[in-house]
Amino acid sequence: MLKFEDRSVELRPGETVLEALERAGIDAPSSCRSGNCQTCLHRAVEGVPPPDSQVGLTQGQKALGFFLPCVCLPTSPLTITRPDNVGARRDAVIRAIEPLAPDVIRLRVDADDFAYRPGQFLELVADGDLRRHYSLASHPEDDPFLEMHIRLHENGRMSRRLGEFKPGDRLHVAGPSGTCFYEGVHEEQRLLLIGAGTGLAPLYGVLRDALKRGHLGPIRLYHGARSRDGLYLDEELKALSRTRAHVDYRPCLLDPNAPAGGDVAATALHAEQDVKDSAIFLCGGENLVKRLKRDFFMRGASMKNIRSDAFTPSG
Amino acid sequence: MSNLYERLGGENAVNAAVELFYRKVLADGRIAQFFDGVDMDQQIAKQKSFLTMAFGGPNNYTGADMRNAHKRLVAKGLNDSHVDAVIENLNYTLRDLGVPEKEVKEVAAIANSVRDDVLNR
Ligand SMILES: Cc1cc2nc3c(=O)[nH]c(=O)nc-3n(C[C@H](O)[C@H](O)[C@H](O)COP(=O)(O)OP(=O)(O)OC[C@H]3O[C@@H](n4cnc5c(N)ncnc54)[C@H](O)[C@@H]3O)c2cc1C
Ligand code: HEM
Ligand code: FES
Repeated sequence: MLKFEDRSVELRPGETVLEALERAGIDAPSSCRSGNCQTCLHRAVEGVPPPDSQVGLTQGQKALGFFLPCVCLPTSPLTITRPDNVGARRDAVIRAIEPLAPDVIRLRVDADDFAYRPGQFLELVADGDLRRHYSLASHPEDDPFLEMHIRLHENGRMSRRLGEFKPGDRLHVAGPSGTCFYEGVHEEQRLLLIGAGTGLAPLYGVLRDALKRGHLGPIRLYHGARSRDGLYLDEELKALSRTRAHVDYRPCLLDPNAPAGGDVAATALHAEQDVKDSAIFLCGGENLVKRLKRDFFMRGASMKNIRSDAFTPSG
Repeated sequence: MSNLYERLGGENAVNAAVELFYRKVLADGRIAQFFDGVDMDQQIAKQKSFLTMAFGGPNNYTGADMRNAHKRLVAKGLNDSHVDAVIENLNYTLRDLGVPEKEVKEVAAIANSVRDDVLNR
């Protein structure tokens, strides 16, 4: 009836999943024990948690099986895991690795049975212990490979390693994770996608998914970069916005002399005064994401309409 | 007469209040610094816990839980003036939502009743 990963857990009648985990001696955090604080969050990897145990979660979280054990009285078998468990590592083979800009590469790998939503991220594993997160720009229904856009940092460990890789080399992937994908968006809602650098990767995935699902509302994509080279999908996105009337691509080159800062965040904040009804996606550096999230929320956007991934450096 | 939480509208009332309240708190220079650093999505869930409790709704918090939740903040200087400010913002939020003055006072009284635990004294 109830399993925690591969371990059976006894569930007594009337008992919540949290109580059962605790009785089984499984370390499960909790606080309010009434379905509000989300401290106890877990994910069902098999079975469907009752809707009562998903109140207050985002549409993305619900779609991935997240639920709150403290208010979960299962009505059917469930296999659950901790929210940050990315699952088993899978083999991946490099199909292509090529430059998109002087310091950005496009990495395409083949991996079997890797189900994901465009905009989610995976854990890329090299040499057994070197692990970094990268977002997915590919679309599972169109692309037979997983595509990532990776900025190479001069002294970065994974960056250096990636510089040595060539097609045919083997890696591992785990995941996917993250809830920055096209879910819970109304087809006529205004879509606002804002990112800098390789923050474009998940946004590009989300954009393609939105178009594939027939999104009708206006879509505006802001991409920020420090130099012209950094607008690494400029031509493709310009072509796309010419053929799709509802797609508006706004490249933003950093302009240090502009009064308000001149970066993509300042540009977008200036242009986007009315965000109350928009579905917002924010990806890239931590400062950019934090600033935009806060400012758009203060301007009236609901937190449930703001999805984001901050590319926090690891370690 | 039904209890306060039901009179306010239960979970829907909490949902209607939570973002309004959180915006006021973040805009209030007296207390905003205590809410920095915690992820905003997680913070919204904590605010929901706070409001459910203040509305007299179902919760299982003990005094010790309140002490623990705010210990880190007390170490950063949390004091009576900050509790006053939070209750003030709570009052404004409820008035914005058209809650009658009698209920506004009841909510404030519940929040005030955990003051000593929140301040760890
Ligand atoms: C959810 C998530 C999604 C991500 N998606 C992507 C993606 O799609 N594309 C992508 O290129 N990266 C992405 N990242 C960042 C990526 O995981 C690595 O942190 C990054 O590639 C650096 O790894 P490294 O091993 O090369 O550098 P490290 O060895 O980890 O770091 C080397 C040096 O570079 C600095 N550094 C690392 N990252 C940054 C940064 N972003 N800005 C400034 N300085 C930095 C470090 O402080 C350190 O001094 C994502 C991160 C997260 C958390
Ligand atoms: C007035 C009485 C108060 C009550 C009833 C109250 C209630 C709560 C509750 C229920 C939580 C969630 C705990 C959890 O489940 O983790 C919480 C967390 C929090 N409270 Fe309060 N609170 C009060 C006053 C304050 C004040 C005055 C401040 C600061 C100005 C404050 C700041 C916070 C912060 C920042 C958190 C999140 C802590 C974390 O996530 O680490 N609270 N509070
Ligand atoms: S413990 Fe708070 S939501 Fe479960």
